[in-house]
Amino acid sequence: MKKTLFLFSAAAAVVAMVSFSSCRKDPLKDMTNEESRIYITNHDSTANFKAYSTFSIVDSVAVLTLAGDSAKKALTDYDKKLISSVTAAMQQKGYTLVSKNAKPDLGINLTRIDNSYSTISWNPGWWGGWGYWDPGYWGYPGGGWYWPSYYTVYRVNEKQVAIDAFDLKNPKNSKFVAVWNSLWRGSGVWNIDNIDSMVQASFAQSPYLTNK
Amino acid sequence: MKKIINWILVFAGCFTAQAVSAQVRPPLSVDVNYSIAQPLGSLKDYSDKTSFRGWSAGLQYMLNNQWSVGLRSGYQDFYEKLPRAVYPDKQGDVSAVQTRTLQVIPIQATVSYAFTKPESAVIPYATVGVGAASMNYEKYWGEFVEKNNSWQFLVSPEIGINVPFGKASPLMFNANVRYNYAPYKYNDITSFNSVQGNIGLKFHLN
Repeated sequence: MKKTLFLFSAAAAVVAMVSFSSCRKDPLKDMTNEESRIYITNHDSTANFKAYSTFSIVDSVAVLTLAGDSAKKALTDYDKKLISSVTAAMQQKGYTLVSKNAKPDLGINLTRIDNSYSTISWNPGWWGGWGYWDPGYWGYPGGGWYWPSYYTVYRVNEKQVAIDAFDLKNPKNSKFVAVWNSLWRGSGVWNIDNIDSMVQASFAQSPYLTNK
Repeated sequence: MKKIINWILVFAGCFTAQAVSAQVRPPLSVDVNYSIAQPLGSLKDYSDKTSFRGWSAGLQYMLNNQWSVGLRSGYQDFYEKLPRAVYPDKQGDVSAVQTRTLQVIPIQATVSYAFTKPESAVIPYATVGVGAASMNYEKYWGEFVEKNNSWQFLVSPEIGINVPFGKASPLMFNANVRYNYAPYKYNDITSFNSVQGNIGLKFHLN
């Protein structure tokens, strides 16, 4: 009888332990797509954003995939919406949209990144090497991009979207200097319905990015 | 020869004494408790919510009516989800919904002292547990996790009561309050402090 009681209590204890330890609250099961996303903004702290008054934006979106050696340009509905949403946000910040031939102060590049099957860590330095926007697009054939050293960026292995603003007025050693960058990560960043809120969040958390 | 007989008598005496003291209930016991823990200090700043996900379990051996030694383990899951906010970081400004979690698994040796005789209706006691704890730090930025796992020294003073289900019953109700301290430093946590309330059962095995 005592032995049975002992065995019973031992079994109960084991069951209790196992069920309690698996009772950990899983953060990923307690999360909407919106909550899964993060927006990382970076800027050149020495840049004077009031010194810029005009900007131009690319006419399509570069798509980087691990499969392709170079970026493809795309203009899906998503891309059109992204271009118009970023344009509107820049105008709200007091910048004037001009054509790229009218010597804009800022150039804005848009990139979608699909590294879903990649474990390569991303640093902006490799953009050039992947056939990213040719600086010739911005009237600077043979030029390049310069990323200041503070642009250390999170490791990536999923879908992302990047907005990069470059100073076209003051090239450094024939390179355009990145002055602002926003990177979107998480579930649904390639979903057209989320564009406006992601653009708004990116600009809202960058109060220095204004001409006003 | 006489000396040996004397020694045998002394041992026999001791054995008898122990048998008499152990008459109430067998010396070996197991206990299983449900735990609730309140984080304190920098742990509270990291993850503010009281944890209702925890347990504690152990083995104890009574050396005599007052003193026992034992071994125990357990589990506690601290969890707090914060609304979206912008966090300045060395890598830029990051807008994220943070979920801050910490899972603690202690392994401790214990020494306990009972303040009353085993026949009492209520047996108050004090325990000190000393050992190590596995600290599993997981801070989620959205769906991206920042992880760290390490073992830390952990000391846990405790006071509690055992209430036997009837005189000399091997089964007792247990309730206790335990303070946990570990010199654990990681990111926002500068030391680990928590107050833990436990209720459960203690059973003396034959």
